Amino acid sequence: MQKDPEGFERKSLHKFADFANQRVLEVGCGEGRLTWKYAADSSLTVGFDPDHDSLRVARADAPYDMQKNVHFAEASARQIPFVNETFDIAILAWSL
Amino acid sequence: MVHALDEIRRTLKPNGVLIDIRPVEENWPVEVNASTGYQVAGRLTDLPVAVADDEAAFRAMREAESRRWYIKEKEEEFAFFYYWDTPSEMKEFMDEEWEDFEKLEESVFSAVKSAWTMANADARVRVRVKMLITRWRKL
Repeated sequence: MQKDPEGFERKSLHKFADFANQRVLEVGCGEGRLTWKYAADSSLTVGFDPDHDSLRVARADAPYDMQKNVHFAEASARQIPFVNETFDIAILAWSL
Repeated sequence: MVHALDEIRRTLKPNGVLIDIRPVEENWPVEVNASTGYQVAGRLTDLPVAVADDEAAFRAMREAESRRWYIKEKEEEFAFFYYWDTPSEMKEFMDEEWEDFEKLEESVFSAVKSAWTMANADARVRVRVKMLITRWRKL
């Protein structure tokens, strides 16, 4: 099975936001499928998800060059473990 | 959902951006795609739980907008394709992953198999998922 080989999702995402040097919060990152489509441009990306197993996959799949600026956390959107006004961009990744 | 939108707003800087990207139910077309073109063989049937989830998401965003947490700046639709080499692989995936959300009627599955059998050797089957992407600005 192949998902979005045309890359329409990536194109749409970059059309809607400029991630360069931005601090990004991704809500419902799952296995990080969407994360890898923008995180290289960001100064910091934090993806969180309540699913522990998905996060294990996301961490294992992290490209070497993104390991310093991409972090994953197990959390729910009902209580985001960050202080006020931390991020420039938040992404609801198939999660609303 | 509304509480989550408030939590996100709390963590966003002033003038921050919220991107909402998600599939929208619309009896997604099942297509047979080959180098010569594609044909629609039928459509999936949205199940009630998926439709209810969609309605809840739209309702939550409307609520957040009415509370003046965010203002909508831009919205577009685009297609997100799932591809399989054979109709059987598609059916197997749907039975395992989408059973609560989408139904592949037997008549549609038969039509997909027929169209795929008649198509070029390079033909694959795909589902055209309707996607919505919206940019919201924190107020």
